[in-house]
Amino acid sequence: MNQIDAARSGKYTEEMEKVALQENVDIEFIREGVAKGNIVIPKNRLRDRKNICGIGRGLDVKVNALFGTSSDRDQMSMEAKKLKIAEEAGCHSFMDLSTGGDIDGMRKQSLSLATVAMGSVPVYQAGVEAIENKGSIIDMTSDDLFNTIEKHAADGMDFMAIHCALNFDMIHTLQKTGRVTDVVSRGGSFLTGWMLENQKENPLYEEFDRLLEIMKAYDVVLSIGDAIRPGSTADSLDQAQIKGLMVAVDLTKRALEKGVQVMIEGPGHVPLNHIRTTMELQKKLCHNVPYYILGFLATDIAPGYDHITGAIGGAFAGMYGADFLCYLTPAEHLGLPNEEDVRTGVISTRIAARAANIARKRPHVLQSEYNMSKARVDNDIQGQIDHAIYPDKLKNAFASGIQDVNGIEDEAMQVAARYFLNR
Amino acid sequence: MTILESAKKRIITDEMKQVAIIEGVSEEFIRRGIANGEIVILKSKNHVKAVPVAVGAGLSTKVSASVGMYDKNDTVANELDKIFTAVSAGADTIMDLSVINDIDTMRRTALTTITKPMGSLPLYQAMAEAKKKKGSSLEMTIEDLFEVIERHAIDGIDFLALHCGTTMEVVNRVKKEGRLDPLVSYGGSRLIGWMIHHNVENPLYENFDRLLEIAYKYDIVLSFADAMRPGCTQDSLISSQVQEYIVLGDLITRARDAGVQVMVKGPGHVPIDQIETTVKIQKSLCKGAPYFVFGPLVTDTAVGYDHISAAIGGAISAYAGADFICYVTSAEHIGLPSKEQVHQGVIAARIAAHAADIAKGNEKAVTWDLEMSKARKNLDWDKQIALSIDPECARQVWTERSDDFSSECTMCGKYCAMKIVSKFLSKEKVG
Repeated sequence: MNQIDAARSGKYTEEMEKVALQENVDIEFIREGVAKGNIVIPKNRLRDRKNICGIGRGLDVKVNALFGTSSDRDQMSMEAKKLKIAEEAGCHSFMDLSTGGDIDGMRKQSLSLATVAMGSVPVYQAGVEAIENKGSIIDMTSDDLFNTIEKHAADGMDFMAIHCALNFDMIHTLQKTGRVTDVVSRGGSFLTGWMLENQKENPLYEEFDRLLEIMKAYDVVLSIGDAIRPGSTADSLDQAQIKGLMVAVDLTKRALEKGVQVMIEGPGHVPLNHIRTTMELQKKLCHNVPYYILGFLATDIAPGYDHITGAIGGAFAGMYGADFLCYLTPAEHLGLPNEEDVRTGVISTRIAARAANIARKRPHVLQSEYNMSKARVDNDIQGQIDHAIYPDKLKNAFASGIQDVNGIEDEAMQVAARYFLNR
Repeated sequence: MTILESAKKRIITDEMKQVAIIEGVSEEFIRRGIANGEIVILKSKNHVKAVPVAVGAGLSTKVSASVGMYDKNDTVANELDKIFTAVSAGADTIMDLSVINDIDTMRRTALTTITKPMGSLPLYQAMAEAKKKKGSSLEMTIEDLFEVIERHAIDGIDFLALHCGTTMEVVNRVKKEGRLDPLVSYGGSRLIGWMIHHNVENPLYENFDRLLEIAYKYDIVLSFADAMRPGCTQDSLISSQVQEYIVLGDLITRARDAGVQVMVKGPGHVPIDQIETTVKIQKSLCKGAPYFVFGPLVTDTAVGYDHISAAIGGAISAYAGADFICYVTSAEHIGLPSKEQVHQGVIAARIAAHAADIAKGNEKAVTWDLEMSKARKNLDWDKQIALSIDPECARQVWTERSDDFSSECTMCGKYCAMKIVSKFLSKEKVG
């Protein structure tokens, strides 16, 4: 039985138990969340894996890493390495965004290597194959799209980003209003091109029920792709974005009614003064389903440092209710990330998630913060290593003899330490 | 006459004119901000080389980088190198926090070399000299302390970090309130140790008028250091932190009445849901004085990556109203930063400052973002790199991750969304 169906009939699944345990919450809280759609548990029926996670209201903010080949770089072995590095750095899930080389082979490799939830964007493959085999994205058929989606589901994908919340009304809005960066979503751009050239409505929008059937059959979480997300701070909260959100509202409702787990993918580039509004709008309009955000990037001007702009926006959004942060690496806007970029991306995003989890008052997170600080006050080296998000640099520093920056050798400091800490 | 006195008398000084141009605001805006204490201009009478920098409400968020000799192997030349690195990365000010070796030479060399305003923390040197000459930092006398403060002032230091608000009453509260980490501030903790040892009130508080005379004479901005800033997320918004601000609020009025500009240093470690309150409490208790935050770090657990933790906290703080961000490097809690870590630290803090400036509607900041996104849409790589906050880094990453330097990047290769959509949208005209 699917997670959401089980939840709605009052049953606890093994996955709900695992999630409840990890999150230190009552299993009934999880069941209720899944039933209402506030929590999703990505777990394809056909895929067994070690690590299960829940995403949504009342839970820890989770971190997703991206990898995959591109037309310029298609070394499967390198992508396998990235996957291992990202897991080791502590990501909760992956998305395989491959668009180059043997995409089917890549996906199978990824699914077999990963011990965490795995997602994909099937329209990439459908689009790329149309371009490669038929000469143009325009010649992609609706069946091509749905067959690819079904193939990914049958292979075991746990969640899929699908750009169903894109229609002609939105494209016309886009043309009318004029944006700085029109469509920055790759999937969105494929579909926009396809729609304009064929003068046909988006099949993923038009044949949404067909999509839901597939999602339901394999218990795949539908992540409604943000085809029209702002790609610059100037475009944030513009008419096109809000229209997209409005379309997602209706689709979300249909997915929930059908018994399909669903979350909404969000921007993108959002200035700090728009974050709260963006979050509250999405939560209120979209029936409080989980919000999966790409960043947010708090500024456009820091290529080479977008793991930092993303951490700023991600933390702030997490405090206002974002549930799932897609990482950004230092290579964003510049190229395909290498192994080190992947590691940096996961760690930075985990810092953002941690900051949000503190603000969300997650009891085990607050305890871990306390333990870290206590270890610091007590000069307990092992304690600090145990509680650090990623202790590599701390370990190196200890190994090479840490400098006494606390000045314990100073007499005045010693008096203060005796006075306050009785030592 | 000091800058503050001039502002109160409705006189526009050269410094005000200079910063008005830099900030793109009117001279009168600057003058009024200074007169009511919401803006300070960092520029000592004795720092000949310095180009004035304004900090405060309605202005762009500024970034400060700290360097200094902490270890007997540290040299003036190495620290100067870090200063150059920080300045070329875009730091607005530098603080020399040396605690050892030839501190005078360090400060004097820096002051006569760079054009950025500089801050210092004279207590470090006063205690270091007491230890050297008399065997213990506890042997420092009040005269020693003021002599060093005056020495820094004469040399041309533009802002002085001093723990004036850490009174015995505050110290007693710390003892009672049950802080997890009472020893947060390097200077503050030493000052407290000295006070307890001699069983006397804080000399900077007791002799505040004397301090004001020095600051007045050289037109130095007092930067009130907060010995009771939270040093872990658990201690945020604890009573001693707030009490210190209450004490500082009274001192701020005295300073302003004496014609001396003031700003206040802030945390430290603050959970993101407490940042806005922290800034508002400071602004309210400290009578609108510019807020100079140290980070803040938003988690205690990001050791090795604290520049990122601090960028999160700095951006949210500045958006909430903080004016000045002291950088935190990835060496924080581990050791002392290398040149590369100084560079990364400044850039991270500048990203935070810029993110806040956009959110606050700063026109220059908003335009910068807009120009970048237009260049991105046009796939104009030269322009994108030129507009990057760290062009050299952007170029390096782009180069290293690219194969053939086609118009797209290797992220999406030929399936570039910008390119595809531009092609189709340009064909279709609005009907």
